[in-house]
Parts: sequence; C-alpha cells; structure tokens
Amino acid sequence: MSLFMDLNLPFTADKKRLKTLLETAAHLGFSTVAINYFHEGQSKGKKEIPKPTPLAQLVDELPIVQGKSRPIKVLNRLTILVSDASHFRHNAAEYRAYDILAVQPTTEKLFHAACMTFDVDIICITVTERLPFFFKRAPINGARERGVMFEVCYAAAIRDSTMRRYTLTNTLALVERNKGKNIIVSSGTDKPLELRGPYDITNLAQLFGMSEVEAKDGVSSNCRSVLLHAETRKTACGIIYTVKTPNDSQPKDGPPLAKKQKTSAS
Amino acid sequence: MVRVKSRYLLCEIHVSDPSKLLLLEDRAITAAVKDAVTSAHGDYGAAQCSIGFSVKYVNAHTGILFLRCPKSSYRLIWSALPFITSVERKGRRISCFLSCLHVGGTIRTCQKFLIRYNTQQLHRMLPKCKTQEEKDQVRRAILSSSTYMLKGKEHKEERD
Repeated sequence: MSLFMDLNLPFTADKKRLKTLLETAAHLGFSTVAINYFHEGQSKGKKEIPKPTPLAQLVDELPIVQGKSRPIKVLNRLTILVSDASHFRHNAAEYRAYDILAVQPTTEKLFHAACMTFDVDIICITVTERLPFFFKRAPINGARERGVMFEVCYAAAIRDSTMRRYTLTNTLALVERNKGKNIIVSSGTDKPLELRGPYDITNLAQLFGMSEVEAKDGVSSNCRSVLLHAETRKTACGIIYTVKTPNDSQPKDGPPLAKKQKTSAS
Repeated sequence: MVRVKSRYLLCEIHVSDPSKLLLLEDRAITAAVKDAVTSAHGDYGAAQCSIGFSVKYVNAHTGILFLRCPKSSYRLIWSALPFITSVERKGRRISCFLSCLHVGGTIRTCQKFLIRYNTQQLHRMLPKCKTQEEKDQVRRAILSSSTYMLKGKEHKEERD
C-alpha cells in the first residue's frame, strides 16, 4: 500500500471544522495533507501574505491514519492567484514559512511564465470556469523538465453539474497535452463531506483520461515528488542547506524519559 | 455452464450526523446510485446500471454496504460513486458520501476483508475509550473477531 496525500485542504479559522476535516482525511487513509492558505495577488494596496498558523494552535491531537500507526502529517502550503507578473516575487522571505508553494495563473502569458521561470512546486489549473487559453506543448514540457506539477481539484466537480463539465473539459485538455504525466489530484474543499477516498479519486481520475497507473501516481508518488521538489527549493542546487541555529540553548522539555531512568538507577 | 461474473464493491458510507445512519435502507441507496450514474454517464450508464446491479447488503449500524455490479461495467459505476452527495429517504435528505474500501469477485472475499477491516476499526477505537467498561467491551469484541478468523482458518485446514 502506498502513501496517499491530499495537498489541498483550504485553511479555515473554524477549529472544529478543521479537526473533523483532518479526522475524515485520516480515516480515509491519507497519510499527508497540506493546509492551503490562499493569497490573491494585488498590485495596489499591498495585501500582506498571510503567515501560517502554527499547527499546535489549530489542533491539539493529530488523528491516527487508517491502516497505519502513525499520526497524520500536516504541511503548510501557499497558493497565489497571479493575474499580473509582479504578483509573484522571486525568493520572497514570506514564502519561506511555507512547505509548499503554488501559483494559479489566469492568463496564457502568466501560465507560460509559471511553467518556465517561476520557482514554484505546483501550478493550479482553474476548474470552476472555462479556461481563457489553450495549453501549449512548450510550457508544459518545460514544466515537466523542471519537475513542476499541475494540480486539479475535484471538489467543484462534486458540487454541481456545470462545474463538473468545466472540470472535465479543462482536465481533459490538460491530460491530452500532457499525456497524463505530472498531474496531481487533490480535493480543495473545506467540507468533510466533500472529501473522497484515495481509490475513489484514482477511479475518478480515469474519467479525466488518465490511465490506471497515472491516476494512482496522481494521489501518491507525484505528490511525494512535489514534497521533494519543495525541499530542494529551500536549498542551493539541492545540495547545501542552511539552518538557523537557535540562540537560546536551554532544553525545552528536559532530557528524554529513557535517559532520566538511567541516571536515577546509577 | 460458466457462471455470471460480477464484482462486489464494499463501500463505507460517511454521514455528518451518526444518528441519521439508521435511516438508511437499500432501496434509497439504489436510487441514489442510479441517479448518480445517470447524471455522470447518461442513458448508456443508466442502461448498464439496470442489469445485474443491486445493493446486496446494508448495515445501518456501521454504515457498510455491498454493491453488486456486472464485471463488464463496474468501473463505470464506480466512477460515478464519488458524485453521490446525499441519499433521499422518506422525503428527507441525508447528506453523505461513499468511499470504496474493497473490490471483490465474490461476497465471501468481501466478508473476509470486512472482518479484518472492522477489527482494525476496533483497534482504532481502543485508545479513544474513556471508561474502563468501554475498554473491556472493545477488547472483548476484538478477541471474538480474531477467534472467529482463527476458526475460519482451522476449518479451511481441516478441509484441505
């Protein structure tokens, strides 16, 4: 059994809802989820990029994953809606607080730029309306070479039938150009009742024109490569990694329990 | 004579309010699945769904159901299952979703899987118990389910 991931759970301030959302995801068998903070790029009246809320403040106890004995892993992700090239700032310090970085381009030019130059992990495909442009092979191949993934959210398709049509049209267009590679399928919903199990998602992705293997990769191994890509984004050429050493060297919780026992015995 | 082959989808139904789970029954679920297939795949899907499709078993307490589909079209029916958002029963809408746990060729293999799955659920339940009484109850349930599995194995060995 492979590890399943859902890299798009929108952030809600409602703690109770977030808790049930995480519990449902764990029950369905997702071992890693990412809480998504949405940021709309604005040129005037600069809106601050939201700071991720520490996980300890959101939930007290992480639920155990179905079929495993480990608790669910929760990451932070930032999605920027880009409607102008200046909205995405390269190497901004604010982006460092997030584990995963995603952009949602709105025009063809920006889509091209996102695929070829932007230093991101995920490019979101709009599924709630008809895309104003066609996918071209050059940027998509460029994205594949750089290891950037395309994301499709299925929650809109569940909600009503017009959205379902748009989702299917846009995804079919993408899969046709992309041959089903480099696609991740995630939920993108904050309602627990709109989540689906990983095997249902793979079967749903086959409706999008992906093969069985590609569909399963869409919820498991492609997500894993997103995480690895995100790791290398923080490093220099994926080799050197800098960590800020904490200045105060006082121990937080004291020595671990096993050590304590040893000293008391001797 | 070759038997008619079919696939059994073992599904779990998730509802927001556990008290509404008891309202579920097979006819309501059949209607919901057929509606979903029709809306996703049109007349062709509805036709596929009308032969050899049935809800074999519903457990309203644990929210488990068995769907029987013809082998040729089970993927078509399965791909429509995520679009189910509610089940209508006696004019009341129960918002829910189905998640598929297992696909089997016979009911027997599905049952075997279900016993294992339910034991797993009991193991998950154990740390959440608050009183000693609850804990004992869950422990007893786990024991009885595992002895059931062992007995099944012994029977098989005897037959061999």
